[in-house]
Amino acid sequence: MSRISKPRFNWLGLGFLAPAMIVVVLFFLAPVIMTAFFAFTNMSTSTGITGGDYLLSQSDLRSLANTKASAATLDALENAGYRVDDAGLARLAEAQGPATADEFRKLHEGDLFTSRRDMERALKDLRQHRIRSTRDRKLAAELFTSSVMDQRFDTEEAFRAALMTSGIEAADHDTLVDEAYTGWIWTTKNIELLASLSSSWRYAMNTAIYVSFTLAFNVGFGLFLAISTFYLSPRVAATFRTIWFLPRVLPPVLYVLMWYWLTWDTGIISTLAGYFGVAPRNWMLDTGTNAWVVVILINGFVGASLGMILFSSAIKAIPASMLHASEVDGANRWQQVRYIILPQLRWPILFTSSYQTLSLLTSFEYILLATDGGPGGTTEVWALAAYHTALNNYGGNLQYGLGAAYALVLVVIGIVTSLLYLRFFNFRELVSKPRIEQ
Amino acid sequence: MTANFRSMPVIALLTIVSLPLVIMYVFTLVDTFTNTEPGSLVPNEFTTEHWRFLWSPDVGRGSVWVATVNTFIFASTTALIVTSISVTAAYALSRLDFPARRFFLSGIIILHAFPTITLIIAIFLILQWLGLFDTLIGVIIVKTALELPFGIWIMKGFYDTVPWEIEMAGVQDGASRFMVWHKLVLPQVQPGLAALLIFSFLSGWSEFLLPLVLAPGSDSQVLSTYLAYFLLDDSLEVDFNLFKSVGLFYAVPVILIYLVFQKKLMNIYGGGSKG
Amino acid sequence: MQLKLKNFTKTFDSTTVIDGMDLTVNDGEMMALLGPSGCGKSTTLFTICGIHRMNGGTLHFGDREVSNLPSQQRNVGVVFQNYALYPHMDIRDNIAFPLRVQKLDSTTIARKVKEIAELVHIPELLDRRPAQLSGGQQQRVALARALVRKPDVLLLDEPLANLDAKLRLEMRSEIRRIQLETGITAILVTHDQVEAMSMCDRIALMKDGKIVQLSEPSEMYNNPSNVFVAGFLGNPPISFVKAQVQGDDFGFGNNRVAVAPGLKFRVGGALQLGIRPEHFGPQFGRDVQGKISFVENQGREDLYNVTLENGVVIRSIQPAGTRLKLGETVSWGVSSENVLTFDLQGARL
Repeated sequence: MSRISKPRFNWLGLGFLAPAMIVVVLFFLAPVIMTAFFAFTNMSTSTGITGGDYLLSQSDLRSLANTKASAATLDALENAGYRVDDAGLARLAEAQGPATADEFRKLHEGDLFTSRRDMERALKDLRQHRIRSTRDRKLAAELFTSSVMDQRFDTEEAFRAALMTSGIEAADHDTLVDEAYTGWIWTTKNIELLASLSSSWRYAMNTAIYVSFTLAFNVGFGLFLAISTFYLSPRVAATFRTIWFLPRVLPPVLYVLMWYWLTWDTGIISTLAGYFGVAPRNWMLDTGTNAWVVVILINGFVGASLGMILFSSAIKAIPASMLHASEVDGANRWQQVRYIILPQLRWPILFTSSYQTLSLLTSFEYILLATDGGPGGTTEVWALAAYHTALNNYGGNLQYGLGAAYALVLVVIGIVTSLLYLRFFNFRELVSKPRIEQ
Repeated sequence: MTANFRSMPVIALLTIVSLPLVIMYVFTLVDTFTNTEPGSLVPNEFTTEHWRFLWSPDVGRGSVWVATVNTFIFASTTALIVTSISVTAAYALSRLDFPARRFFLSGIIILHAFPTITLIIAIFLILQWLGLFDTLIGVIIVKTALELPFGIWIMKGFYDTVPWEIEMAGVQDGASRFMVWHKLVLPQVQPGLAALLIFSFLSGWSEFLLPLVLAPGSDSQVLSTYLAYFLLDDSLEVDFNLFKSVGLFYAVPVILIYLVFQKKLMNIYGGGSKG
Repeated sequence: MQLKLKNFTKTFDSTTVIDGMDLTVNDGEMMALLGPSGCGKSTTLFTICGIHRMNGGTLHFGDREVSNLPSQQRNVGVVFQNYALYPHMDIRDNIAFPLRVQKLDSTTIARKVKEIAELVHIPELLDRRPAQLSGGQQQRVALARALVRKPDVLLLDEPLANLDAKLRLEMRSEIRRIQLETGITAILVTHDQVEAMSMCDRIALMKDGKIVQLSEPSEMYNNPSNVFVAGFLGNPPISFVKAQVQGDDFGFGNNRVAVAPGLKFRVGGALQLGIRPEHFGPQFGRDVQGKISFVENQGREDLYNVTLENGVVIRSIQPAGTRLKLGETVSWGVSSENVLTFDLQGARL
């Protein structure tokens, strides 16, 4: 008689994983989803990120002229005038005292003034309770405005109710509600903008330049450092490796500060060049080419160290007997590098390249600190553009929606590429069953 | 390593290409204590005035000491949380069997490779909603979350090197899986734990973009944003010797920690660091 | 305590590794699970100790069914191939760990650790760390740790594989001594026939997830149930020769081996002869002729390969001193009482 034993449910595993799960879902997966969500809104500083209210302003009138709202509606909005009604009188009583309101009621109850001047004159012409100051008269006139213009409504219902009493054609109400809403709305405009703006193509080009040149520098120079230090005594090699590793360890802000000093018009390059009669200038920002060179070097000096470590350990893994054999066979150093060492580095090079491609595509920290995209947007890469659009620009109107659309492109690239990494890893071995079956 | 080739040409070449970095390091050190005539490279007097930011709070934006304390809280808290969450999660992924284990494993690989900085706009808005914008707590949580996949991945690597037989022996000796982890496996990954702790601390100490975007106010500023203020504010007079002193003050803990724990850290830097 | 495995089945991801295996190990007996790698012997061991779960069948320790118990509740001691000592604890703590888990008081623990350390001859090593010990010493510690809480069954997974030749010899007898002194029921997993034969009361020879033969070592050597068993035991290995029954002889080419008295075979029938090297030589007659094609001088003995006319090779082991040369023609004989006969499919006749 045989019995099949059920595998026990292992709570320990899920329990051990739970804290990580919670944090990752809240602050990792949620932002991924939210990026997609924000990319389809028109959120910006002016719309705010929560809901909005309803307000028709003069600028809205101008843009309404381009919609299907009828001319009558526009006219009604513009010239709705001032109606002496109970509500307005009550407001007047509150502002100027009930006596004034009563007198005004006697003279003008039910009247309609089409222009503000007429309304103000009527207020001026009160006999017993004249409102003397011009400012007060202006304010008082406002109390009788019968238009929905320049009034803030908290909810759509309130706004529609006001529209109903204003006598504006019902057919145009929806258009007006849309126009008056100050909060954010869903839109696909961001994506259309991305495709049509010439600047986004320029950012893409800049990114291509940035990634390809920096990557070439990183891998090439990393290889050079790894191979050259391999041929030195351990002590000397360690010194050089430390020199080249420090940029990775140092805080980015300090590291870029050093480059400022190096390239500034009072910095060391200008000072040295001054000995040869060259006028001091800002070598980082004076021309676009210089800016690119500096940006690539700043990133490259940091990136090369990663290649240096990975390649160095790969070279160390080459059996010494193989190298000795090649020397016995009469290989010179170049031949040894070319035929023994480089072939062993194929995988590390591929790994480093693909890994750095993704991180360079999305990184903008050093560029932000160094050129901030300048001069004149020459070094503005895609990721930096997303940052500038959504989080920091001189105009002050931060377009979260458009910025998120920029970021969404990178997020999608990131996800697709990360999925490809799954193939890189020996996934079968990785997910092999735990050997203790309980 | 091999004696058949001469090393002098290599050393010469390396020295030339390393010169810019060495010059930067040396002058960063020297300039913080000296003054130099314009147009000259050799300092002509010793001074401590570049360190005045330590005692006069009006030099930078707010007090450097507040920023230092903030940086320390930020870096140490994230390091502690990242390490303690990673240490259990990584063990589960490395050794325990549970439903959807494959899914979680592939998830962690994807997250590990995923460029987190692309999420900053969404995170900025989420923090606004949660009311955690411009607070140290907000940045700490975000930094922890973004660092976590890396921490788990690294810790899993350390767990993977512990022989299965140790755990099998523990189970045979009557210990529960939890006890096996706690008493037998955890001591084996102690070096990894320390390395991850130090690494996340350094990473937090150096973090710039998250505080810049998520905690821009001067109350919650950290040293990176304190220093960046000098660089990014165009209205300030450029005083590199002062900037360098601030920078050096900021970087000294990093350099010390790196020099002391160099060997331990190499493992992590090579094992899949970003950038 | 008796161990009884019935109808045991184990699959890994839909591959059946062991299908319906039965095995009984008697109280106090030392049983070898012997077989080539991949035969399922380690899987069986890991299932008995509870690290693997059974997909079918039952496992009893005495009257107690343990089929579905986790390792922690089975009371099995295991010695792993790489010893699996806890590197961060000293030897005393290593041995005490199973007792600490049981939350015994410290004086009891100290006493038990001392007792077991004396049994395995390591009382002087208790304060060292595993990394400071030699392989043989680590092996003793692993044994002590496995035995300290008086397990019902002791399992040994290739315990000698990581030792050098000399230590292996020493530990072979040590493990057997300790097993006999404690009287514990033990299972030894090994791919080394010498280990199995020299240490164990009985051997279960496994192949492809099945037990091919289960018997005492000498019985298995002298009376193998098929060519696999015959070929697996013995070093240098047995030689197989295809032959025909010709009257009172087995004939192959011009050579013949007499059929032992009392045995009857169908005349003209084809079969395989299994000839062990110690049963082929000049002392057994002159009916088999061939050329010496290989000589190996081992000091006490000499090994020869003799190639017959039809190309078949028969190995022989001779006392040293014969000094035959490569290429020499010899006429030797086969001991007819000891020759093993198999049908062409490999089953014993």
